[in-house]
Amino acid sequence: MRRIVLLAAALLVAATPLRADEAVTVPVQGRDAFSRPLPALDPVHRAAFHAGRSLFQQVWTVGPSEVRPDLDGLGPLFNRQSCIACHAKNGRGEPPEGESDSMRSTLVRLSVPGGGAGDKAGGAPRPHPVYGDQFNPDGIPGVPGEGRATLVWSERIDRLADGTPVALRRPDLRLSTLGYGPLGPEVMTSVRMAPPIVGLGLLEAVPEADLLALADPDDRDGDGVRGRVNLVWDAARGAFSVGRFGLKANQPSLRQQNAGAFDGDLGLTSTLFAHHGCTAAQTACRAAAGEDTGRVEPELSDEQLDLVTLYTRALAVPARRNADDPLVRVGEGLFAAIGCAACHTPTLRTGPSPALPELAGRTIHPYTDLLLHDMGEGLADGRPDFQATGRQWRTPPLWGLGLTAVVTDHPTYLHDGRARTPLEAILWHGGEAEPAREAVRRMPSLNRKALLVFLDSL
Amino acid sequence: MRPLFPRIAASLLGSVLMLGSGAGWALEGQVVVMTSYPDELVQRYEQAFERANPGTDLQVVWKPSRDAAVELAKPDQGGVDVYWTPSLGSFPRLRDAGAFRPLTVDRAILPGVVDGQFVSDRQGFFEAFEVAGYGLIVNPAALARDRLPQPATWRDLAATRWNGRLALPIAGQVSFSGALYDILLQAEGWEAGWALLGEAAADATLVGSGGQVSESVVNGEADVAVTVDFFARSAIANGHPVVLVYPPRTAFLPAQVAIARAAPHPDAARAFVDFVLSAPGQALLFHPDIRRYPVRPDVYTQAPAGTVNPFQRIGAEAYAYDMEKGLNRHGLIAALFDSLIAERQDRLKTLWGAIHAAEAALAAQPTTKPDPERAALVSRARTLAGFVPVAGADADRLAPGFQDRRSNRNPEEQAAMRKDWSARIDAAQADALDLVRRALPTP
Repeated sequence: MRRIVLLAAALLVAATPLRADEAVTVPVQGRDAFSRPLPALDPVHRAAFHAGRSLFQQVWTVGPSEVRPDLDGLGPLFNRQSCIACHAKNGRGEPPEGESDSMRSTLVRLSVPGGGAGDKAGGAPRPHPVYGDQFNPDGIPGVPGEGRATLVWSERIDRLADGTPVALRRPDLRLSTLGYGPLGPEVMTSVRMAPPIVGLGLLEAVPEADLLALADPDDRDGDGVRGRVNLVWDAARGAFSVGRFGLKANQPSLRQQNAGAFDGDLGLTSTLFAHHGCTAAQTACRAAAGEDTGRVEPELSDEQLDLVTLYTRALAVPARRNADDPLVRVGEGLFAAIGCAACHTPTLRTGPSPALPELAGRTIHPYTDLLLHDMGEGLADGRPDFQATGRQWRTPPLWGLGLTAVVTDHPTYLHDGRARTPLEAILWHGGEAEPAREAVRRMPSLNRKALLVFLDSL
Repeated sequence: MRPLFPRIAASLLGSVLMLGSGAGWALEGQVVVMTSYPDELVQRYEQAFERANPGTDLQVVWKPSRDAAVELAKPDQGGVDVYWTPSLGSFPRLRDAGAFRPLTVDRAILPGVVDGQFVSDRQGFFEAFEVAGYGLIVNPAALARDRLPQPATWRDLAATRWNGRLALPIAGQVSFSGALYDILLQAEGWEAGWALLGEAAADATLVGSGGQVSESVVNGEADVAVTVDFFARSAIANGHPVVLVYPPRTAFLPAQVAIARAAPHPDAARAFVDFVLSAPGQALLFHPDIRRYPVRPDVYTQAPAGTVNPFQRIGAEAYAYDMEKGLNRHGLIAALFDSLIAERQDRLKTLWGAIHAAEAALAAQPTTKPDPERAALVSRARTLAGFVPVAGADADRLAPGFQDRRSNRNPEEQAAMRKDWSARIDAAQADALDLVRRALPTP
């Protein structure tokens, strides 16, 4: 029987294992696998990469600082005090263990109805009138934090077709000790765990036209997969652009993604986001931020933002391991055959990259189409974000997936860290991905093993 | 008032603080910890402490040590409960200013002495939390490729084989370098140490960021660098093929922890201090991204393979590093490093290049034809090239005027002194170059 299964699977062996351009990948397999610069970086950009890394690792401080005024400005409200607090080793975050634990590399987005697709503002989420668009548990001295956020887990047993049990856990968000009163019944929440950040510059360099060409919102090819781009506000251009960063592709560029994170997570203003998110009800926040007394200088300089952006743009992707292993090649074939590759697009090509020319004209294997897909009710957060509905998520890149357990102490997957293994993550897929999920569920165990071994090689 | 635990109860609970940790009682809901530790360390302690003490939120206030001193000097000490940081000079000053509460520590568990050095407060107001050593990070594959021996001592760094292969931190820009260079200067002697540094730095890469020193070896830009050990140890633990070498005459210096006098959450503060000094708290220091040395001998049974035990160091020379003397000198060392090395590296390269060429020429002469005159010229040139404008005997007297590397006290006095140094260094180096050119064989 085992022989028959392998023979059948062998028909699906990928013709040529995919390997990325050596100028943008690194053959590093240790805990630093997500922390290396692109080999192709020129010396000037390499020096800037190191300076950006220092800022990415820097803990920001409550002002004023006599010693390091360039590093003050934290808050008034914030989630964490450094970029690496969430993006430890540039890898995935870790959700809270349970009710007595806290969110440390996970956050909660907030909004109320009124945004969403078709809205005049292009569907931008409408911030909560009191708490704003992100729950900030902490405040600087004199500014009350917004409260405590954690997750409580409930588990159920799912079964594969061969009877193998797989425990799946679902998070239930708990917000308590609210600093500014009740959130009200209309609040919409979305839990987001920090994703890995390798290869982002390469994804930024994929031409917009290529993403539009991949999109199939009306499913004209009839394969049941309806990828669509998210059109989001580009603050630098003052226009709508194709979104490609963030778990719902709600940011058009790395620079804006980073500026948004500095603003939302650390409370640091920049020229892109010049105002703190203090709402009218958050009077201490407004007073601390000087929001009512006139224009405030950006706390993050353009130079600092550019250095951090270059750092995130230039993080190399770890090279694949064991790509020639027969079982890996069987898994690679299965990945394509059952439809995973319809969204997790194996190959893209970068176009011109004026921001970092070393990224231009590269063939890359990110296993994403950067498009939004309906992932079903099981993963839905119910919170629209520009064109993304409450059931849609951007296809996450899979490159580096197999090193997650090396880089991260407690690896978890999906947008909120509910999945503890890639198999659990697959079993949470629904919506457009339901046929692929069911194919995995029905697979003979050896084929499933091949698929998982392939994922581990990425 | 909550009852204080007697010693035996504290020991049973694993507490190292004689006052007890508040275990068995509900702690306050918050503890405010001020630190300048990097987030990779802080995050792990925050997570572990909060998971061990559900209901107590650890609030981190990140401050460089001088900002921290300002905060702790306020009447309410900024609401800070615990000061926990790698800043050797800060703790004695803050203790003397009355910033801390006394701690009574069980010395059976925490000896307070590492590698022969007392690392905690003899008066009992602060306690060592970890120690870090100073040494060399080396790329063994690069050395093997070129059949070069591994450097083992500070003195080895002056060898010409490291030309273009060595990275050195800039003392005025890299926080650990004050202690690093002072350890070298005390080990080699003030004048000889500066001469060694000048010779080694002549063709070295000077690096202005602490993490970048080790990184330069990891990424192949240099083959050898001098560094505080945790950068190198962490690189090794993260899978990079580099090694760490401790010269026989080095030191392991502490980072410390104390409870603020006005701590608004005293029980939670004690619980935090107890946690970081507990066996689980100390064992966290072995984490690949932290890699600092615990101050509890008993946790070394959990150490990863290959971990040096600074309580039982093999190959170390009997070397009593004077930590207090060193603390006083960091600012002076930074200023001298700038004047002697950072501002004159091109000239150093020319000068030491000429000396090495002359020495090579002399060495190549047949032993039957010694040239004592030229040898004397080169020897005098070497002495002058290593000139340092502050004599060892004067260093401790002048050091307070420079206090720490970022302060600029007495700017006019410092500027005048630096101008004088520059003139004397230039004169000595010009004389040295003249001598060595006279000594070089004429074509």
